[in-house]
Formats: sequence, C-alpha cells, structure tokens
Amino acid sequence: MAVYKRNYKPYEGRLTADWSRFLVPARYALETLFESRLLIGFMVASLIFPLFAAAIIYLHHNLGALEAMRISPSNLLPIDGDFFAAFLSVQGAYAFLLTAYAGPGLISPDLSNNALPLYLCRPISRTEYVLSKMAVLFIPLSCITWVPGLLLFSFQAGVQGGGWGWDHAHWAWAIFAGSWIWIGMLSLMAVALSAWVKWKLAASALLFGVFFISSAAGAMVNEVLSTRAGNILSLGYVIGMIWANMLQLPAKSTIFGELFNVRRGDEVPQYMAWTMIALVFGSCILLLNRRLRAKEVVS
Amino acid sequence: MNVAVEPKQDTVVDQPANVSSDQTVEFLNVSKFYGDVLGVNRVSLTIPPGITSLVGPNGSGKTTLMNLVTGLIRPSCGNVRVLGLTPDDPERFFREIGYCAQFDSFPKGVTGRQFVEYALKLHGYPPADVRQGAHDALRRVNLLEAADRKVAGYSKGMRQRIRLAQSIAHRPSVIVLDEPLNGLDPMARAETMALFQQFGEEGLHVIISSHILHEVDQISDRVILLSYGYVVAEGKIRGVREEVKEHPMQILVRCDRPALLAARAFQLETVVEAKLVEADGHRGHGVLIRTRDADAFYLSLNRIVLEDNIRLESVAPADDDVLAVYQYLIGSEGGGE
Repeated sequence: MAVYKRNYKPYEGRLTADWSRFLVPARYALETLFESRLLIGFMVASLIFPLFAAAIIYLHHNLGALEAMRISPSNLLPIDGDFFAAFLSVQGAYAFLLTAYAGPGLISPDLSNNALPLYLCRPISRTEYVLSKMAVLFIPLSCITWVPGLLLFSFQAGVQGGGWGWDHAHWAWAIFAGSWIWIGMLSLMAVALSAWVKWKLAASALLFGVFFISSAAGAMVNEVLSTRAGNILSLGYVIGMIWANMLQLPAKSTIFGELFNVRRGDEVPQYMAWTMIALVFGSCILLLNRRLRAKEVVS
Repeated sequence: MNVAVEPKQDTVVDQPANVSSDQTVEFLNVSKFYGDVLGVNRVSLTIPPGITSLVGPNGSGKTTLMNLVTGLIRPSCGNVRVLGLTPDDPERFFREIGYCAQFDSFPKGVTGRQFVEYALKLHGYPPADVRQGAHDALRRVNLLEAADRKVAGYSKGMRQRIRLAQSIAHRPSVIVLDEPLNGLDPMARAETMALFQQFGEEGLHVIISSHILHEVDQISDRVILLSYGYVVAEGKIRGVREEVKEHPMQILVRCDRPALLAARAFQLETVVEAKLVEADGHRGHGVLIRTRDADAFYLSLNRIVLEDNIRLESVAPADDDVLAVYQYLIGSEGGGE
C-alpha cells in the first residue's frame, strides 16, 4: 500500500450558526421565486384590501373627510372583531392562491434532479430541508397576512388611543397566531404535495382539489347523515372556526359567518376543528417522511 | 435488484497496515436491508487513506456502501465510523465528507461558481471564506475560466468537474465519488484521474465507484470487490490476486529464446502451463507462464536464465489487475467501457 503523508489542511475558520443553515436554500429559492413578475403583481394586488381597510380606519377618525365625501359614519364598516375577521378571510384567500402558485415547485425539482443527497450529505437534516422550503413561503405569506394585519391594528390603536390597543390585544394575537396556523398549514400541504407530484400544475390543481373536494365531501356527509358534523371535513370551514374562536366572535350573522357560510347552529366544537388541523399537519409530515429519502431504493 | 445470496467463496482480505481508527473509514459488521431487499450484509472493512475503488456488478451494494459512508443512510445493524465520527455528530461528520453524486442536480440558472458557493454556505462558511473556498476548488478542477458561465451550458466533462469542485470545496478528508469517470472524454478522464491521485497523495481518503476497470486499476491503491451485497475481496489488487489460489498466476516473460525457456519452465512443479505467445508483434517472442506459486517461479527463473544464458527483456505479471480479479471472483465480464 502506498504510504501517504497527510499534507492538506482542513478548513479551520469560523462557521455560521448551525441553526441558520436552513436559510441558505430558502434564500436561493426566494430569489428564484421573486424573479417572477406574476408573483410580484400578485403581491401588489394582495395589498389592495389592507389599503382599503386602512382607508376605513382613517375615515373613522377623520370626520372632516367623511363630511367632504358625504358619507355618514354609521355607513362605515365598524372597527371590531368582524373587521379583522374580514381582513383575515380576504388575505387568507390571497395566501391560498399564492401558495398554489409558488408552493408546488419547491421540492419536486430537487426530487426529479436527485438533488436530495447533495443537501443531506451536508450538515442539514431532512427536517431542516423541509423547513427551508417552507420558509420560502413563510416570507411572502407573512407579507400579505399578519404583517399588514398587525400594521392595521397598530394604526387603529394609534389613532384611537385611550388604551384601545391593550383592551383589544386578543385581536392582535388572533391576527398573528391565526395567520401563522394558516401559513403553516398551507406551506406544509404545499411542500408535501410538491414532494409527491412532479408536475407543478398538477400539484397546484391538487391543492385546490384538497380544499374544494374536502368542502364537497363535508356537504355530502351533512346531506346524507342529516348532520352538520360533515363541516369538519371542509378545511376552509375549520380554519374559519379557529379564527372566529381566536377573535372571540360568535360564528353567526357576522361578516365572518357570511364569508365562511357558517350559520347559526352549524358550529362544530372547537376541539374537533383543532383535531382536524392536527390531522392535516400529521398527514403532511407522514407524506414528507415517506417521500423525502436521501436515496430511492429500487427493488 | 439485490438478492440475498451467499458469496461464491470466502472473503479475500489483504489487510491494510495499522492505521489508527480516527484516520480510517471503518465498517464494523455492517448490514443494510431495504425492507426485504439486501443492500449489504455483514461488512467489516477498514479503509485507510489513499484511493479505494468499489467494484462490482449492478446491485452488488456499491452505492449502499457509499451512502453508508456519506451518512445518507444508516446501517440496519453494525457501525460505520468515518475518521472516528458518526452521523450522530453531524456538524463534524459532514465536514469530513465530500460527496460527488453521479447525477446532474443543478438548480435552474445557476453558474458554476454559484453552485460551489451554495455548497459552502450549506456547510456554514462565512461569505468571505465562501468566495475564497469556491475559487480554490474551481482552480483545482481547472474550471476557473468557465466558473461564471451557467452550468446548463457546460459540457458533460465540465459538469462532472463542477460536481467534483462542490464536493471538495469545504476541504473534506473523505471524498466519495459515484461513477466519476462516466461520460468523460479521454483527456478529461486522464485529468480527473490525475486529480484523484493528487488527492490520494495529499493523504485524503478517495472512495470511488466505477465500472471502468482498467482505469480503476491504474489509480487505485486498494480495491473492494462486492457481489450480491457481500464483500468478496478487499485490499491491494496484487495481494488480492495472490490470494485467489485456484486461478494460477499468469506471468509474461519476453526473452531471446522463448522455446527453451518454455521447455525448462514446464519442468517446474509449480508451473501448470507454458505457452509461446506473440509479444511486440513478433510471434513466439514471449512465453506466458501459468503458475500456482509466482514467488517460487521467479526464483527458478533466475536459475534457468543463468544456466541457459537466456537474455531476458521483461518479466511482468499478466493477470494481477482488477479485471482479472473481478473475473475470477465475480465471474462475469468486467469493464463496462
């Protein structure tokens, strides 16, 4: 055997924090994502409703402007839980569309290119890899949900004064936590579908399918069994129930109720809604665990 | 498909010189099963620094062995230690491993330099060191000039080299290369092989999987022969060849009186065949000897040459290469290319 003298030097410089490594793939993927003009246009469009909501808050506190526009204050949408529920609903829908556009292309290219071993033979685990892909969605989805939501809340608290912000802090929490539950669920579903379906278009369609088919299945169960429990199968309804609870709204005869088609007596228990969310999270994690392997075994 | 079948014969082992375990890649009774499918079974190996080639037919367990080294899969039982480290300590373990896959897996629109920098960032290199590290790796694989071109426009050889660059950029001690010579033209192959030899000379572990046996033969210090998930032989090629006793060694002797040498050699007990062969285009210019004991034959040859005043031109083993060992131990024709 040849005798070798070890004469090379390994790297001895400092390293970045190991928790931050997952941001590397996320940053590259974000750069690619924001090269799309369609996405930029969509992001701009998604800010229309927050601007509209900001205008309503401004008008509530500017009687002069209302008089000039000949609008009665009683005709303005009140700034209450329903107001923020409407915000969450509209921005949540935007978030869903954005996920359907950007999510399906996150993992499938890596799988079809056999790139996973290149990630996983470095100090990055499968969990960190999935987190990095989800983080690609976290940023744009945050920009259209809880970030403008909290800005609106702060704006209202600022112009109202008198401790309004503290008195209604649970709305701020509902905007923040409710948005994150939605972002987490959408991102996880998107990466799970991206890992299973190679074609981006098919994965997008499947994401729509999951929401609409689950609603249809829920309606069928309601009809066949003469129950309202089928609503639990509708993911839109389920997240609506959770938001309503966080905003401490009764799920009836409100804007929220209208948007989510929740009628008096239709409500399902909160614990069932949370169970459904946990099931969705669990199923996605299971799917990812099965699909994301460093090596595919051909037998 | 891998099938759990016992190997044709016991493992032939040519043990490496004593090297401490924090300088070797160690497999301690390692088995890996994918459900019912056998990957590798009861593998115990110690791989010292230098170039080690994994050789075997498709489905023999080469890739499984490489994946075990790179920490991409964990053994079903047994232990794999790379320089004394396991993937349970990922930060240190993966810093020592450089993996060059056989597949193209480049992000869309990325340049060669960006691809290498990306790999370094995943290893946690700070920005200033990323630039320098990428530059050094690109220089080593001779791709500096094309570094800022998009990988999509690279030739197959350039893609192979950029993959190599990303695997060495973080300065690992163990480089695992899956079919690194595939698709390279002869010039690129020669350059790549020279680079591997350089790595070996620097004291790195270079573990290569390849089907191109004559090239494996040229560059490898050690070879690990696999069949049906079992290691059938490992060690220096010559040592392994000598252990394969049932196939007599072949020695080609070129001399001025081959007929006389053939006649004298055939009288020796250890020689089973002496055949006049064509050498350097001259019929009958050489004698191919098949012997059960090469060392005994060499001693006898000295005596014959002196006694009969035969002028020798060359004496060389004719079948102590990877191809011969592969054919003797695994049985099928090796050398995919």
